[in-house]
Amino acid sequence: MGTIFFELALTLYFAGFLLSLAGIVRKKDDLDEAVFLLSVGGLALHTVYLAVRYIKSGQAPVFSMHEATSFFAWSILLISLCIRFSYKARVLNFGVILSFAFMFVSAFFPRSIPSVKPELKSLLIDFHALMAVFGIALFSIAFIFSVLYLIQERAIKYKKFGGIDRILPSLEILDRINYRLVFWGFPIYTFALVIGMIKYVSLLGFRFDPKEIWSFLIWIVYLTIFYLRVKGDWRKKKAAYLTIVGFLLVIFGFFGINLLTESFHKPL
Amino acid sequence: MSLIVLGLNHKTAPVEIREKLAFNTQETIREGLKRLIQTEGINEAVIFSTCNRVEVYAYSNEENESIIEKIKHFLSDFHNIPIKDFEEYLYIYIDRDAVSHLFKVASSLDSMIVGEPQITGQVKDSYEIALSERATSLILNHLMNRALFTAKRVRNETRIGENPVSVSYAAVGLIKKVFDELSKKFILLVGAGEMAELAIRHLIGSGIKNVYVTNRTYARAEELAREFSGTAVPFENLKEHIARSDIIICSTGAPNYVITEQMIKEVMLLRKHKPLFLIDISVPRNIDPACNELDNVYLYNIDDLQDVVDSNILERKKEADKALSIIEEETEKFFQWLNSLQSVPVIVSIRNKAEQVRQEELEKFKARFKELSPEVLASVDYLTQSIINKIMHSPTVALKNNCDSKEILIFAARRLFGLDSEEE
Repeated sequence: MGTIFFELALTLYFAGFLLSLAGIVRKKDDLDEAVFLLSVGGLALHTVYLAVRYIKSGQAPVFSMHEATSFFAWSILLISLCIRFSYKARVLNFGVILSFAFMFVSAFFPRSIPSVKPELKSLLIDFHALMAVFGIALFSIAFIFSVLYLIQERAIKYKKFGGIDRILPSLEILDRINYRLVFWGFPIYTFALVIGMIKYVSLLGFRFDPKEIWSFLIWIVYLTIFYLRVKGDWRKKKAAYLTIVGFLLVIFGFFGINLLTESFHKPL
Repeated sequence: MSLIVLGLNHKTAPVEIREKLAFNTQETIREGLKRLIQTEGINEAVIFSTCNRVEVYAYSNEENESIIEKIKHFLSDFHNIPIKDFEEYLYIYIDRDAVSHLFKVASSLDSMIVGEPQITGQVKDSYEIALSERATSLILNHLMNRALFTAKRVRNETRIGENPVSVSYAAVGLIKKVFDELSKKFILLVGAGEMAELAIRHLIGSGIKNVYVTNRTYARAEELAREFSGTAVPFENLKEHIARSDIIICSTGAPNYVITEQMIKEVMLLRKHKPLFLIDISVPRNIDPACNELDNVYLYNIDDLQDVVDSNILERKKEADKALSIIEEETEKFFQWLNSLQSVPVIVSIRNKAEQVRQEELEKFKARFKELSPEVLASVDYLTQSIINKIMHSPTVALKNNCDSKEILIFAARRLFGLDSEEE
């Protein structure tokens, strides 16, 4: 269903991935404009793919592993482009690489439309799933900026320059972007969790599956980051480390819990 | 016909000589160009004069030696200085060397600080003056445009101008790696060393507005603060002011640590761990090196800054090698173009001659076969034309191509097609 758009988007992402990698290896940002154009083109085609799927199936394109991973890749790229516009920071390359990686993984999962139980076909469930994936996409980009922050910080602290610090923005910008991502990601993720919880309890009562417990753990970690950052006690380096821990939980939740455990949330 | 550059620069001549030969204003350059162009044998000219170099570029159709003498006389007369006073400092490049030299100058490979960006603009300005004085024409116009293009290529394809190579600029570069909007940051100058002053000047140029100055002698602090439109603060409240500032530049004559690790530890608590950038330019050092171990504190002393500068210089040298191969390539292209100019008149003459022969023979043919229909005549016309084109193809390509024996080839072509006898 609209698979051609998926293939085309994947091709553009791949080209963007190669150029991004070249830019990082060469430590120059002269390919950034081409990366930007490929990303915008890829994202447009990807959006059409998701929209076609949504319209034809009547359910949010996030219920199978293929759909969830592909929507995750889409979210990552959208967020990366927003950062490029808002902060004029030339760090799109890193987002494109992550986005392509997930898009590539999504291509290996079955692409058939998953059949969702009739009681789960509701706008609220769609919202829950889309927002949860978008929220963890925000956390994932925050992870990237945390790693970049630590790289840049190390270069400055130990006076060893000439690596990718050359193409990175200032520590202040990296930290600010990281902060913003958590600032937006946390409420979105919380909202998704709350909607999911309400719907779940109304359907199945109070018994929780591994995915929910894991999601709650992730929520606790980001609540801590959110609280400490907003309060202003934890900044910079410590916040970066905690964001990395959060991301590892997110990724395990996304792939590990989804694929390894039997749960109500197991992708179709 | 040859291209000549005659000049002197910071490597070949002392400043007293450079000063005497400099064309300090646009008007003097214009005046100089007018005189040069009126000199017999000089077809086109450009004068390039900066604080580090004075160069005259000329395109001439006379013997090189005579033109070189004429340019020397021009410089001597114009500046009222005997030739013998500056002759030994001059360098002279001809043809390929002259082109390559200009490309190096424009790309800032010949500058005192390799990779400094201003020079390309200065070359452009000199060219524009020459253009407005109509001192350049086909050859130097093309040469100057290629020089600017080459400089652009060097800038885009290498990292020659990327990293700062002076200590105070290196400090500004490092500060920009930590902070984003410098205009919102506070800077505290502790002490009043010369290098610190220079660093502050560069920082103010980069957007820093809020400057505090402190010194053991308060009057001196006030004096400096006035100079930077900043605020003088008492030395006794040092810790308090460090807590308020984001960047500290320390340059006092004290023999011990003025800023200690304990002081910064306390300050960081007050600052809620907001990053703090410390630059210690004093010798002996005035900031305890242990401060760098603290989270969100970045300390650079004069040796660290010098290391950054040294590695940047090394980087620029590596990039200069890449730039040289670009210059080599562009010089080659320029000479291909120049050589193609020499063969164009010969190719045109041969083609004209062939066309003339064809027309004559065609007329004879038409007179002899009057009964032939216009269609047949048109076919014959087409046939003769294509025979000539086919025959002319190889000689044209051979003449256009750049090769060592080009001049012999042009000579041979003129003889083979009898062009000289006709012209005579």
